[in-house]
Amino acid sequence: MEEQMKKFLEPFTTTDSKTSTFESMQEQVKEWLEQGKVDLFLGYKMIQGHPLPHFFSKENIDEVDDLIVGLARYSLEKIATKIAAEKPDMKVGLLARDCNQRALNVLYVWNQLNPDNVQTINVNCCPSKLRKSADCSYLEPEKAGPVKKEIGIDNNMDVEDAEGFGPAERFKRWRYEFDKCIKCYGCRDICPVCFCKECGLEHPELIGTGSLPPENPIFHLVRAVHMGGRCIDCGLCEDACPADIPLRLLYRKVNGIVEDEFGYETGTHSEQSPFNLLGDEVTLEIKPL
Amino acid sequence: MTIKRMTFLQKLLKFMGLENRLHLDWISSAEAQKFVQVVTDFTEKIKAMGPSPLTGELDLSAVESACEAEIEAKSPEVQSVEGG
Repeated sequence: MEEQMKKFLEPFTTTDSKTSTFESMQEQVKEWLEQGKVDLFLGYKMIQGHPLPHFFSKENIDEVDDLIVGLARYSLEKIATKIAAEKPDMKVGLLARDCNQRALNVLYVWNQLNPDNVQTINVNCCPSKLRKSADCSYLEPEKAGPVKKEIGIDNNMDVEDAEGFGPAERFKRWRYEFDKCIKCYGCRDICPVCFCKECGLEHPELIGTGSLPPENPIFHLVRAVHMGGRCIDCGLCEDACPADIPLRLLYRKVNGIVEDEFGYETGTHSEQSPFNLLGDEVTLEIKPL
Repeated sequence: MTIKRMTFLQKLLKFMGLENRLHLDWISSAEAQKFVQVVTDFTEKIKAMGPSPLTGELDLSAVESACEAEIEAKSPEVQSVEGG
């Protein structure tokens, strides 16, 4: 039984670049490109030892043999959004994990992508008791060191545990985490559901400039509020953060509030979040004086 | 909708450790008495809570002295690096 299991899991667990592992996937991509089902396909290619996001096209179809799946994650749907903004009719295919699928859902709902123009190939991810192996960079989140445990917030903490501290301690701990911020905007840049043309975080009148750490907790709370009803809990922000700020935990809380208050579950609903930062549509009609 | 948004913000601030510092109420322009009452009550509540932890400068003196001690302990190295 165990051996059978091993055999079954093998294609998913081997990380060395065995092309045969991905053959069927590569064939599918080639077929799509040749048939014109997609104009380009977003996946990963090993470039100088790094699995980097790469787009495969009909013109360079032999390149598809280099298409791989590994632990590396990137918000491919974000690239698709940028392509769609330039060329709305382009058909894009991409590798999609569960988190990518949720992000795609949010992007469809917010009219950033047209579902008719997007094709996905699903990738093995999000391990469970039945599925022990997965391809994800978040399988084992970093363990917090003693200092972080003592005065900061452990990234692996549950929302309930983070609420367990007293108010003053809670504030101190979050302040410690936020003050590590070097304002690299990594959390925003990697975020698959951040698509605004102008970002409030870069507005000098909203957030003070010229000092580090940035104006806290405003900087992080503004972002947290924007994540309400948007965040699909992929954890890429935390992956990207050089200061290891427990952003995923913060946004989990934020989404929890949106669910409690507005009854909206992000990533699965087919409508836009009622907690809408863009404001409500004006319903008053203009009348003559 | 406003009450839901405010509750959202209150809960978020509470999660951060800043609770009870945000208040929402409905007062008509004809309800001067209620306005006075609400503002007075809230002011008293805030006064009783003391200044916001945000207004106080972060006390960095301990960190500073620790850093200085560290630098002093390593000063020959530092000097050699600077010299080099």
